Amino acid sequence: MLKLALRNILRQRARTGLTLAAIVLGVASLVISGGFIEDILLQLREATIRSQLGHLQVYKRGQFASGGRHPYDFLIDNPAAIERVVDALPGMVARADRVSFSGLISNGSGELPMLGEGIEPEREARIGSAMTLLAGRRLAVEDAFGIMVGEGIANALKLKIGDSVDLLLSTREGALNTLDFKVVGVFRSLSKEYDARAVRVPLRAAQALTATSGVNSVVVLLADTRLTERARADLDARLPSGFEVKTWQELADFYNNTAALYERQFGVLQVIILVMVLLSVANSVNMTLHERTPEFGIMRALGQTGRDVFRLAVLETALLGMIGAALGVAAGSILAWIISAIGIPMPPPPNSESGFIASVQVVPKVLAAAFGLGFIASIGAALLPARRLARIPVVEALRRAI
Amino acid sequence: MARDFRTAILDPQAAKRVASSDAGVAQAARVLVRIENVSKQYRLGDQWVPALNRISLNIDQGVFMAIAGPSGSGKSTLLNLIGCIDTPSSGRILIADQDVSGKNADELAMLRARTVGFIFQTFNLLPVLSAEENVEYPLLQLSELSAAERGRRVRQYLEIVGLSEYARHRPNQLSGGQRQRVAIARALAMHPKIILADEPTANLDHKTGRRILRLMRRINRQTGATFVFSTHDRRVIDMADRRIDLEDGEIVRLGIRSGKEWVFAMERVDDLSDDNEDQDS
Repeated sequence: MLKLALRNILRQRARTGLTLAAIVLGVASLVISGGFIEDILLQLREATIRSQLGHLQVYKRGQFASGGRHPYDFLIDNPAAIERVVDALPGMVARADRVSFSGLISNGSGELPMLGEGIEPEREARIGSAMTLLAGRRLAVEDAFGIMVGEGIANALKLKIGDSVDLLLSTREGALNTLDFKVVGVFRSLSKEYDARAVRVPLRAAQALTATSGVNSVVVLLADTRLTERARADLDARLPSGFEVKTWQELADFYNNTAALYERQFGVLQVIILVMVLLSVANSVNMTLHERTPEFGIMRALGQTGRDVFRLAVLETALLGMIGAALGVAAGSILAWIISAIGIPMPPPPNSESGFIASVQVVPKVLAAAFGLGFIASIGAALLPARRLARIPVVEALRRAI
Repeated sequence: MARDFRTAILDPQAAKRVASSDAGVAQAARVLVRIENVSKQYRLGDQWVPALNRISLNIDQGVFMAIAGPSGSGKSTLLNLIGCIDTPSSGRILIADQDVSGKNADELAMLRARTVGFIFQTFNLLPVLSAEENVEYPLLQLSELSAAERGRRVRQYLEIVGLSEYARHRPNQLSGGQRQRVAIARALAMHPKIILADEPTANLDHKTGRRILRLMRRINRQTGATFVFSTHDRRVIDMADRRIDLEDGEIVRLGIRSGKEWVFAMERVDDLSDDNEDQDS
């Protein structure tokens, strides 16, 4: 039976080619569209992680729930204890301490509320590699009182590199404190909202400004995003009590919302592709089997049961589906590489200022799904026509031979 | 032309007498197929078109029978009913004493596999299989046959139809006559009780058709296999030893060969075919 099915497939080159083309095209488009979505989400995810969040952040318990309103209450006075644990994490690439504060930024011509972060410049440079510099440079170790401002602030206060600004805030004890900083750079992250309020100063300067000595969080960058959950479990197990760990996913509201939006949008498109694949495969399979009605009539006249005929028809199409899906996966992967080599220029995602170059990821998960869908679609397409072949009266089937 | 109104084939008893009195016909007197009062109507649009009208007929084992008649007279319908690929609208058909009317599709398929061999006007070989595989294909359903036995039968029947050298050829590499011989081998290899051939020569030139018919008759004589074939070709009819003439779904006469002459049993009064007969000869 398998031999017969294979020969039938090989005999009708044109028909087989047509059906195969429908399956290959469908599977390849599933591979490419799926890979494209994967790529966009991957890029967005990595940009989120590498511009701002890191993979993991360690806080004193309660800070996250407080929404950052009382940063002074959650200072980690002895970060060294945490740092020892973090340094032992497998796949740890970089860690940096941060101090959070909020207050006003002014340059004489105006003032704005700001959210500040005190950072360790040399370490933060490794974590924030995806943050775009619009002007100037990153903070360096020797900038004792340098400041990087977000694009929004720079625009609103018309700040240029080398301008000086004042940061004004109230300290832990309630006293007003102000310090003078020199603008060294203007940055753009993924989030427009963040860029409208964020400033970054060296950790020491932030501690001087807030008159504290602790830090608010320890940010961890891992070698690979897939290590996140394991690292989190490790930290949860080993950290002294009183601390909590947040992953990038828990922190990245913006990413989560965007990802959900994209996934929904692309999901709809994929369903449409899927329906088109199904229809074209069904059409082609139906035509092929219909044309061969007399052939199946002969088999039944020779004593094959309807079931035998049904099985043969489905088997043939399943074989085609398997071959087509395999070819489709191969074609889709090759196309994906070609497209990735060229790149697709993308407009800025929502709430973002900069566009990016998308490519197509070749992901095993997507390949497997596309293969499975192509295979199942062809079997599904064969069921009805095969059933008809099995049920049509033999005389009727034979009459079409002439 | 001799006129002898023996009601031969309608009456089993009479059939026996006729058979035994006719040396040219195989001596078998067992009735293989009984067709009892069978009618068949087809639906054409919203009309019912009668194809066969209350046909009763017995077919003896070992006969070489022609069903003659113009197109539309019901020849194919009758063959299809005997071959169990169609079911009668009313009446009963018994093949080898089995009533086929009450059987379901699978049982009919099984019956076809073991009882009936088909030879079609359009040969109807499976195009992807070689000659020997086409002959072997229906044998695969007979689980009692070993591979060696199958191979033996395939070789035997290809030999009988004279196609041993062409065993590995695909149908499209064979001529029409050769294809029909493959179809005959395929039908015979199953050792069916009856071989039905619907216009087996219609798509062949006269010479080839004649050779095919001779081959069929030789097999009939040598193996005692029962053959029933439909045709409207006078020369083909004359090679048969029994004939049934159909017109408008009814049997108009039954004939038995006696030497070179046809001895007709029943004959309808308003018989027009008589004129045709003279004209043809």
